[in-house]
Amino acid sequence: MKRALFALMAIAVLFVIVPSLSAADAKTITVWCWDPNFNGYSMKEAAAVYNKSHPEVKIQILDVPENIEGKIEAGLQAGGAGLPDIALFQDYVIEKFILNYPNAFVDLKAAGVDYSKFAVYKQGPMTEGNKIYGIPFDTGSTGLWLRADYIKAAGLNPDSYQKNMTWQDVINLGAAIKAKGGKPLLAYDTTSFDTLRIMVQSTGTQFFNKDGSLNLRTPAMEKSLAILKELNDKGLLYNAEGWNNWVSAFNNGETVGLLNAIWIIGTLKSQPGNAGKWMAVPTPRIEGVEGARNASNNGGSSWYVFSSSKNKAVAIDFLKSVWASSTPDALNFYNTILKGAGAMGTYLPSRSGSNYTAPDEFFYKQQPVYKDFAAWMENVPTLLYTPNYVAMRDAVKNAILLMFKGELKTVGDTIAHAEAEYKQVTGR
Amino acid sequence: MIAPAIILYTSFNLYPILSSLNMVTRKWQGMRTTYIGLGNFARMLNDKIFWQSLGHNFLFMGIQIPIMIMLALVLAAILNQVRRGRGTLRTIFFLPCVTSLVAYSVLFRMLFQTNGLLNNLLMKLELIQSPIGWLNDPGWARATIMIALTWRWTGYNMVFFIVGMQNISNEIFEAAEVDGANKRQQFFRITMPLLRPVILFSLVTSISGTMQLLDEPNVLTWEGGPANATMTAALYIYRQAFVLNSDFGYAAALSYIVVIITAGFAFTQMKLLGRRD
Repeated sequence: MKRALFALMAIAVLFVIVPSLSAADAKTITVWCWDPNFNGYSMKEAAAVYNKSHPEVKIQILDVPENIEGKIEAGLQAGGAGLPDIALFQDYVIEKFILNYPNAFVDLKAAGVDYSKFAVYKQGPMTEGNKIYGIPFDTGSTGLWLRADYIKAAGLNPDSYQKNMTWQDVINLGAAIKAKGGKPLLAYDTTSFDTLRIMVQSTGTQFFNKDGSLNLRTPAMEKSLAILKELNDKGLLYNAEGWNNWVSAFNNGETVGLLNAIWIIGTLKSQPGNAGKWMAVPTPRIEGVEGARNASNNGGSSWYVFSSSKNKAVAIDFLKSVWASSTPDALNFYNTILKGAGAMGTYLPSRSGSNYTAPDEFFYKQQPVYKDFAAWMENVPTLLYTPNYVAMRDAVKNAILLMFKGELKTVGDTIAHAEAEYKQVTGR
Repeated sequence: MIAPAIILYTSFNLYPILSSLNMVTRKWQGMRTTYIGLGNFARMLNDKIFWQSLGHNFLFMGIQIPIMIMLALVLAAILNQVRRGRGTLRTIFFLPCVTSLVAYSVLFRMLFQTNGLLNNLLMKLELIQSPIGWLNDPGWARATIMIALTWRWTGYNMVFFIVGMQNISNEIFEAAEVDGANKRQQFFRITMPLLRPVILFSLVTSISGTMQLLDEPNVLTWEGGPANATMTAALYIYRQAFVLNSDFGYAAALSYIVVIITAGFAFTQMKLLGRRD
């Protein structure tokens, strides 16, 4: 009797608990990203929006600050073991993953995402033939950030620089400020590739040919290196080693400005003492290079769903209904993360949000910077990364450092040095 | 009783070694691999960056290890004489090697950056005219790596030497004193020869540690910078597998070279250790 009762109870337990367990399990979505104040925050806001209509889905956001790509690589090698349902990838690494791990990601175009509403340049790296794998997240639309008060102190009018400038205009501005005893024009991180990348991409020139071979001998590359060399030779660069030194250089007022993307806005605002001093102007244009324009991009990342996910349908529905939808809730979400974290999405209908057009008290003459960067974003050319982007990036970055040190004398030598290192490192 | 050990050894040691034999014959790109025979080794011959990186390992080994072992010996000899506060001093010297790598590299960056503490101090004392590029000049960056390594590992080796010294009978020193040997002579004629096995042990561990050096150049000088000046073999192998183009085959082939060199060192040292005068 006792035994029968026990068996009955066990069966009851199985019927009650097991289905509820697996049901709960099926509705948990795990997301990996790396910055709790930026992309983590944005995902959390998105989860809150989704939970309003789908309270049964639990969205778990994990912060993976250290080597997220290495961890994902290990998971993919193990056939998907230990991977989350959704992960954030830098746009510059995704081509490597798509090519090296066929069928690792879910084709979201086939799942019904309307890509005509996303910025075109974001879609290049995530596209393979007819398949599109990612949900574009933030833009790295760039501009030249300048201290209006330093320009004024040199006897110049900041307002007359709020226009489309060429690099020659910028060098002249830097030289004029320097001649008056002012600070160096730009903070330059010697461990980073960002500045050159922004310059070359502004012309629409690629670092690689269509077949994936290296393409560094281009007018855009030569001109960009020559401009960098001139900036450095004239003392217009503040050479900082590493991100932290670079940030403290411009945040502590050691330079007149910096060249970088909209996402640096949070870092600028972390110094409230600089309120009213900063302004942003369009990315300088490289004269004499075909396709050159006053817009470029640096950084930016996108969301991907792994094919190994057990909850693909829920994960896709979540991304589609919050990140790729024009419902008032979704648009309001984009408006929220813009103000909350300075995260500027690349979903085009979201640009009508109130925070995009609002004047910003932090900037010189309350410049509505988001509106400006969003407008510049429309002109950003698509960049081809290929799986060897990081090898190319580091080879060029190293060559520039040697050029600055005078070990490589000419632009030609610098390009040749970068090509040689790339060849050795990639074996091609 | 021995079965668990054999199972563990087979699955975590033997299997990876055997599977690496397959790995080195392939061009590896994520899930797509192609058989290329000895292609990875041929590629290696033209890869100057790898051989330079290996050269940096030898450079660090040749300069930093002797300095560190001498320093550790001297410190151990001094601490061995100190009567009061020996434990505290020993802890202070030992602390660096148990410090978190992150805290340590943040500290060293603050000390060594161009506008950092060290340069400011040297300028104030008028020892230098303009700041030294401790982290962004190739030569100085290598020196910084060696300084950091010395800071981190001297105390660790010192502890072995202290233990070794305490095992030397006091009678020998007393006899030497009676014969009129001074402290200096005692150190070089008695302490050092009797410590030989301990010193050799320190050498073995330091050399194999330096062959695998990765953390310092990865964190302190931004992935082996400036311009690969502090790139080491292990860091380069790691980058080939996990940072560049997922070429696990090439990375495995490169690590074969490092294994062969390390094994060569270990073999020589075993011979030396085994030798009796």
